[in-house]
Amino acid sequence: MIENASGADGEVPVGTAGRSRSVVLRGEHLSKTYATRVVHDVDLELSSGRLHVLAGGNGSGKSTLLKMLAGVVPADAGGAIVLGGRRIAAESYSPRAARAGGLRFVHQDLGLVDPLSIAENFALDGGHPHRLPGWIDDRRLLERTSEDLRRAGLDFDPRIPVAALRPSDRTLIAIARALREDPDADAARPPLTLILDEPTASLPITEVDRLLDRLDALRAAGHGIALVTHRLSEVMRIADDVTVLRDGNVVGTGPIGDFDQDRILALIAGHVPERLTRHERDSSRAPVVLSARGLSAGPIRGIDLDVHRGEIVGVAGLVGSGRTTLLRALFGDVPAVGQIAVDGESVPIRSTRDAVAHRFALVPEDRVREAAYLDAPVWENLSAASLWRYRTRLGLSGRRERRAAPALISRFRVRTPSAAAPLAALSGGNQQKVVLARWLQTNPRVLLLDEPTQGVDAVARDDIHRTVRETVDGGACAVVVSSDVEELEQLCDRVIVLHGGRLVQTLAGARVRRDILTAAIQQENRVA
Amino acid sequence: MTTSALPSPLPRVSLGALVERFGLLILVIAMIVLFSALPSSGPAFRSVLNVQTLVANQGVGLVVAIALLFPLAAGYFDFSVGAVASAACLVTAACTATFGLPLWLGITLALAFGVGVGAGLGWMVAYLEVNPFISTLGAATLLGGAIFAYTGGLQITSGIPRELTAIGSGRVGGVPTIALAAALIALVAWWLMSRTVFGRRLYAVGANPRATQLLGVDVRRIQFLSFVASGTVAALGGVLLLARQGAATSDSGMTMLFPALTAVLLGTIVIHVGRPSVPGTIIGLLFVAVLVSGLTLVGAPAWVGQVFNGAALLIAVAFARLARARGRAARR
Repeated sequence: MIENASGADGEVPVGTAGRSRSVVLRGEHLSKTYATRVVHDVDLELSSGRLHVLAGGNGSGKSTLLKMLAGVVPADAGGAIVLGGRRIAAESYSPRAARAGGLRFVHQDLGLVDPLSIAENFALDGGHPHRLPGWIDDRRLLERTSEDLRRAGLDFDPRIPVAALRPSDRTLIAIARALREDPDADAARPPLTLILDEPTASLPITEVDRLLDRLDALRAAGHGIALVTHRLSEVMRIADDVTVLRDGNVVGTGPIGDFDQDRILALIAGHVPERLTRHERDSSRAPVVLSARGLSAGPIRGIDLDVHRGEIVGVAGLVGSGRTTLLRALFGDVPAVGQIAVDGESVPIRSTRDAVAHRFALVPEDRVREAAYLDAPVWENLSAASLWRYRTRLGLSGRRERRAAPALISRFRVRTPSAAAPLAALSGGNQQKVVLARWLQTNPRVLLLDEPTQGVDAVARDDIHRTVRETVDGGACAVVVSSDVEELEQLCDRVIVLHGGRLVQTLAGARVRRDILTAAIQQENRVA
Repeated sequence: MTTSALPSPLPRVSLGALVERFGLLILVIAMIVLFSALPSSGPAFRSVLNVQTLVANQGVGLVVAIALLFPLAAGYFDFSVGAVASAACLVTAACTATFGLPLWLGITLALAFGVGVGAGLGWMVAYLEVNPFISTLGAATLLGGAIFAYTGGLQITSGIPRELTAIGSGRVGGVPTIALAAALIALVAWWLMSRTVFGRRLYAVGANPRATQLLGVDVRRIQFLSFVASGTVAALGGVLLLARQGAATSDSGMTMLFPALTAVLLGTIVIHVGRPSVPGTIIGLLFVAVLVSGLTLVGAPAWVGQVFNGAALLIAVAFARLARARGRAARR
C-alpha cells in the first residue's frame, strides 16, 4: 500500500499497546555516492518505543545507511538528520553528534575483546575510573559495571571473561554496554536509541529468542530500536515498522501490518521469488541410498536412519542434541560405532577419506574454519574436491581448472568479480555457494549439510535450496541439519528430531511444518 | 539455466597487478643492467667467469631453499634443512673418503639419512603434534653437535671422489654442472608442487588443514610427507655441497639456513603473493645473489651482504603480510 511513500508525520498515537510515538531520529534525503550512488535519497524515521527493521539483500545499502546515521560515513550534501528535534545538515553530522543525540550502535562483531573481563570491556568503551592520575581504580570499575549490568537485568559477575559467555549473552553484554548511562547524563533526556547491525546473524536460532526478548523489553522501556536482519521470520515477529532497501533505494516502508513474509522477500529480491514448493511426494518406496544402524558417537546413541533416493531428510533438535555429531559420524570425522550402508552394501567409514571414497559430501557449519580457502582464488576453491578431473599425462592442469570455473560460477549463481578473485572477496552467501559447487562436481550420492544457509541472505538462501533440491532429484539424497524450522519446512521431505543424542520423533509429509517442528524440538521424551 | 554472461576466467590484468606480481623479477633485471653498465663494476660483472661463478655458487643454496619449501607450503618452518645438508655432506664424505665405499653407495646412504631425519621430524610434527619450531630447531642443534663430535672440528678434505668434485667445478657447454643439477632438482620440485595433486594438497593443508581434512584428505600424511621431501632434498643439497667444496666442513649448517629462508620468503611476494613457490624462490635467490655480487664489485664492504640478507627477509615478510591484508580488504 505504501511503497515508496514517506512515513507518518510527527506525534501520532499508534499501535495496539497505545504507546505514544515520538520521533527520535529522522533521516531526510540521505544519499551516498562513492564511484556510483550506493544509497539514493532515503528517508528513515525511528520512534521511541518502536522497533524498526531494515531489511535488504547484500549490497542493498543497509550498512552504508547505518554508517551514515553513525556519522562514520558522511552523507552527500543535501541530506539532513533530525535528532532530538535538532536538524543537522549531512555535511556537519559526526559520530559525536550521533552520540550527543542519544544514538548508540552495536555492530555485528559486537566490539568485545574475548579474553578480557566484562568490566574491562565496559572500560574499553567508557574509560577507566582513576584513583590517582595513571592509577586505575579496579574496585570502582567493578562496582560501576555491576551497577550497569544490574540495570540491564543481567546477572553476571563482571570479572568473568567475555569468552566464557554464550553467544547470545555476549550480544546482551554489548547492548548493555552501548546503553550504559553516562554518569553526568541529563536526567530529563529521553531513553537512548539503539541501532543494531545484524545481531542475530551469527547466533544459533535457539539463542536468538533470548536476544529478541531483550529487545522487546528495551522497546517497552521506551527505547527506539533499529535492527538490520536477514532473517524474515524475525522481521515478522518483532518489528513495529519495516523498511526494505534494494540497490540503495527504499522499495517499501511502513508498519509491519502492511507486509507479509512473501511480500518482503519479493521486495528484497526485486521479483517474486520462485519459492520452492515442497514436494508432496513420498520417497519411501524409492530405494534406500544411505542407511545407518545403531550409530553411536559422542552424544548420539543408537540412531537408525534410512534415507531414500531423491529424499531430503532434515535433522532438528536443540543445541547439544547431537545433530552435528550425527553428520560427522556419517562422514567418518568422529569415531563412531554402528553400521553404515550405501545402496544396501555395508561400508566401513573410519575416516573422511573413506566417506569421500564412497561419494559422501559434507558442507560444514563453520565455513571459514572448515571449508574455505579464503586467500586462494575462487577457481581453486571450486576444484578442491575433484582434482582428479583435471589430471593430464603431465600432471595437474591449473589451466583446465581455471577454464572450468566460469561455467560453474554461472551455474551455481555465484556472484564474484572473477574466477581469480580470492574467496575472501565474496559475501558469505556466495562463499557458501562455492563450497556447495565444489562438492557437487564430485557427483555425490549422499549430501550432508550442516546449517547450509546460516548468515546467508534471503536470495542466496533460495539459490542454495534450489541447488540442493536439483541435486537430490538427480538421484542423490541429502541429510540437512538446521536450527531454522522455516528452512526445514521448505526443504525437507522428512525431519528427524533428536533429543539428548536419541532420535525421538520422525515427521513426514504434511507434518513437516514449522509449528509442529518447534513443538517437537522443545518436547522431551516423546519417542515415536 | 541462467543467461548471465560468463565471467572471464582471468581478471583484467592491469599494469599495477603485473608490477606487483613480477616486481621482484623486474628489480633483478634492472640490477643486472645497472651493475653491467656501471663503470666501476661493469667489466667484472659482465664477465663470463663472474656469471658462471655467480650461478654455480647459488646451486647449493637453491637446493637447500627448495628443501624449505615443502614444509612451508604445508604451513611449517623447517629449521633443520641447513643442518641436514651439512650432515649429509659429512655422511657422503665419511662413507667415501674414510670408509672407502663407492660413490653411489655414499650418496644413497646420505639420501637415506635425509629421508630418515625428515621422517622422524614429520612423525613428531604430524602425529605427535610437537611444535615444529622447537622440534626442527632441536634437530638442527643435535645434528650440529653430532657433526662436531665426529669431525672434532676438522674438515675431511682428502679422498673425496673425483667424479663428485667434477660436478662441483665442471661445466657442460659453459654452464656449471652444479647449476644444471640444481636446476633439475628445482624442476622436479616445481612439478611436484604445482602440477600434482600432492602439491595442491600441500598448499591446501597450509591454508586450512581442517577444511582439507573434510575434503577426505589424510592431512597428517601430507604433513609427514612434506618433512620427508624436505629431508631428502636437503640431503641432496648436502651432496652438492660436498661436490662444490671438495671437502666436508665441520660447520653446523646454520649459515645455510638464513639465506635459504630469505630466498623462500622473498619468493612469496612474486607471482602468487603469500604462497611459497619454486619460481619465486629462484627469483628471490637471484635477487640477493646479484645484489651482493654487484655491491661487492662496486667496492662495498663485506658486512653489506649480511645486513642486506636480513633487511630483505624483513621486507619480504612485511610486504607479503600487507599484500595479503589488502586482498582480504577487497571484500566489501
